Amino acid sequence: MSNAAVEIQHAWKRYTGHVAVRDLSLTVPRGSVYGLLGPNGAGKTTTIRMLLNIIAPDEGTIRIFGEPHSKPGITNRIGYLPEERGLYRKMQVRRVLRFLAQLKGMAKADADRGVDQWLERLGLRTSDKDWGAAKVDELSRGMQQKVQFISTLIHDPDLVILDEPFSGLDPINAQALKDIVIELRQRGKSVIFSTHLMDNAERLCDSVCIIARGEKVLDGAVAEVKARQGDRHVAVVLSNGTPVGVPEILRDRALVARCDDSNRMLEIELAPRASAQDLLARLIAAGAAIERFELVRPSLHRIFLDRVGATGVEEGMSGHG
Amino acid sequence: MDKLWVITAREYLERVRTRWFLFSTVFGPVFFAALMILPAIVARRTKASEEVSRIVVLDATGHRLGHRIADGLSVGMIGDTARTRVQEMTPDQLAPAESLATREIVRGELTGYLVLDSAALDGRRVRYAGRNASAEADMDMIRRVVRESVMQTRLEMAGVGPDRSAALVRTQLEFELERITDRGRGGSARVSIAFALIIVVILYMALMLYGQAVLRGVMEEKQTRVAEVVVSSVEPWKLLAGKVIGVGAVGLTQFAVWIGSAILLLRYRAPILEKLGGSAMSFTPPDVTIGMGLVLLLFFVAGYVFYSALFAAVGAMVSSEQEAQQALMPIILLLVSSFVFFQPILSKPTSGLAQTLSWLPFSAPIVMPLRMAVIPVAGWEVAVALISVAAGSYIAVWIAARIYRTGMLMYGKRPTMRELARWLRTT
Repeated sequence: MSNAAVEIQHAWKRYTGHVAVRDLSLTVPRGSVYGLLGPNGAGKTTTIRMLLNIIAPDEGTIRIFGEPHSKPGITNRIGYLPEERGLYRKMQVRRVLRFLAQLKGMAKADADRGVDQWLERLGLRTSDKDWGAAKVDELSRGMQQKVQFISTLIHDPDLVILDEPFSGLDPINAQALKDIVIELRQRGKSVIFSTHLMDNAERLCDSVCIIARGEKVLDGAVAEVKARQGDRHVAVVLSNGTPVGVPEILRDRALVARCDDSNRMLEIELAPRASAQDLLARLIAAGAAIERFELVRPSLHRIFLDRVGATGVEEGMSGHG
Repeated sequence: MDKLWVITAREYLERVRTRWFLFSTVFGPVFFAALMILPAIVARRTKASEEVSRIVVLDATGHRLGHRIADGLSVGMIGDTARTRVQEMTPDQLAPAESLATREIVRGELTGYLVLDSAALDGRRVRYAGRNASAEADMDMIRRVVRESVMQTRLEMAGVGPDRSAALVRTQLEFELERITDRGRGGSARVSIAFALIIVVILYMALMLYGQAVLRGVMEEKQTRVAEVVVSSVEPWKLLAGKVIGVGAVGLTQFAVWIGSAILLLRYRAPILEKLGGSAMSFTPPDVTIGMGLVLLLFFVAGYVFYSALFAAVGAMVSSEQEAQQALMPIILLLVSSFVFFQPILSKPTSGLAQTLSWLPFSAPIVMPLRMAVIPVAGWEVAVALISVAAGSYIAVWIAARIYRTGMLMYGKRPTMRELARWLRTT
């Protein structure tokens, strides 16, 4: 039995005028939370659709739990939350959920039981109000999102695929979703989610794969990916603002290769032959009051910007979650 | 198979549960009942009113013609001969009597007056004046009674005995119409044309309405993005097939209710009409055999699959209602084309046009049943038409499945013909 939840080998997907996915290979370890990171239009959704056998790759093989992804019945073990969410608006919530559960091979009675448990767990069914009996379009947006989570998880899938799960979620639902992901992980389920929000990915993922323009840029366990980038990063916080001499130091390319100024904190990548010691000495000499000076692993955000580069970055990508 | 069933069941149940379904299913029989009962009621209305007997007959013939007419007017109406006043007089007295009667009519004491003089006995002319002079049914009745009475009086004057003359005059003539076509006698002409029209309208409406229901269903799934969730669980063709079968089953359910209630209404027509005070007119229901019914069903099913597949393909292609309207045009034209030729086909069901249209897959589902309703069509022709529609449906489904699979996940711009062709080629 394969130890991977998902194995993609040399997958290609071409459309007229552009290649959506170019020779992509990746492995999602079983029981891990895996982040598929990349700017908008990088090919994340195409990759996920190929995984789910919604669209066929032009080349390459995809295996899920060691089996070809087109094998009948394999979809019953997968839960999918698409980026663009939707439910039958005129249908009763309970009937929609039962329908989607039955499509995952659940018996009607099991589906009904599961629906009630989930509705209670997410607060859609209380002693005074049962939203399960309401029509979908009578629900608020937040409640519809919860219903959509339920539809993804109702059949207790072994592999959960979430495409941009945090987009459009209010903070409460975002937290609920994070809790769900953690719980799935603890129960040994595999979770794949795509996102362009690096902070979320950094906090949640065991492993990541960064793709841009349809190609893999790097992949691996988060700790490993960060280690590979070396520890030439320094996080600096100054307590007295920015004294006059400091900008000049930061512009010194012999010392500082790159500086990411987040106002309160500076994330500095040292130039190849510079030492953190020199930097500290120069900052102090310029009159900076050091509140924090720490050698750090680069953040995923930083790595992402370094590797993908500004050209691969579209609007909306650089936001922190 | 299991999941196909789940999808079909959802399509069917969600539609049957709507108020619209309930309304249209119940409305069908109500409409049919109205169609059946109203003519009987209207027929009753076209009978003469009681007003016809509330007249004065100014009789200057001297042959008691006026009394005979008065009796005739009362018979069958209310049986009250006293209502019709008869004044016998000389021709000189006619003019003042007329002006007197006119004043009475103006005051509303009378409805009208009838003038009988020697011209009446000659069989040339009588005069009637009254408030109801333009009421067709009243005038018909007066005309008939006067004509019969004059004829009877003239027969008696010519020496025929009263009983014999009465028998001679009262002839009830039923006028039966029968149609002879190129192939011989075609049964009651009006019934078969009406039947053909009903079949054509129902088939046309059904294909249009249920086809559009499929279209809207596909568009809804695409617009709300439910399709993406569903096709991550089942193959797209199952979603398409489940929708087509489910909507088709809704249509058949509706038909079953309609046809069932129509049969019941026809069977209990006479008692129902009696309760309502009308009388059952002679009406021969069209002679529909089980075989004919089965063939109709087959044509409906095949035609429905053909058109709904095309409607579904359009639904998968477009992203908005407006785009759908444009992309629908070719399909609507195909469907309308079989309806447009209704008149020429009906008047010449054996013509080359009629024959060709009844064989082409897009028009056969309507034109062949139309021809079959008015003339006997050879069995092999029906078979050819059915095979043609079945083949057309197969191709339509094949095309639709391909467009559907790709189109359902494509948002934004409508595909060009070139792109469509590529969707069809990809496996």
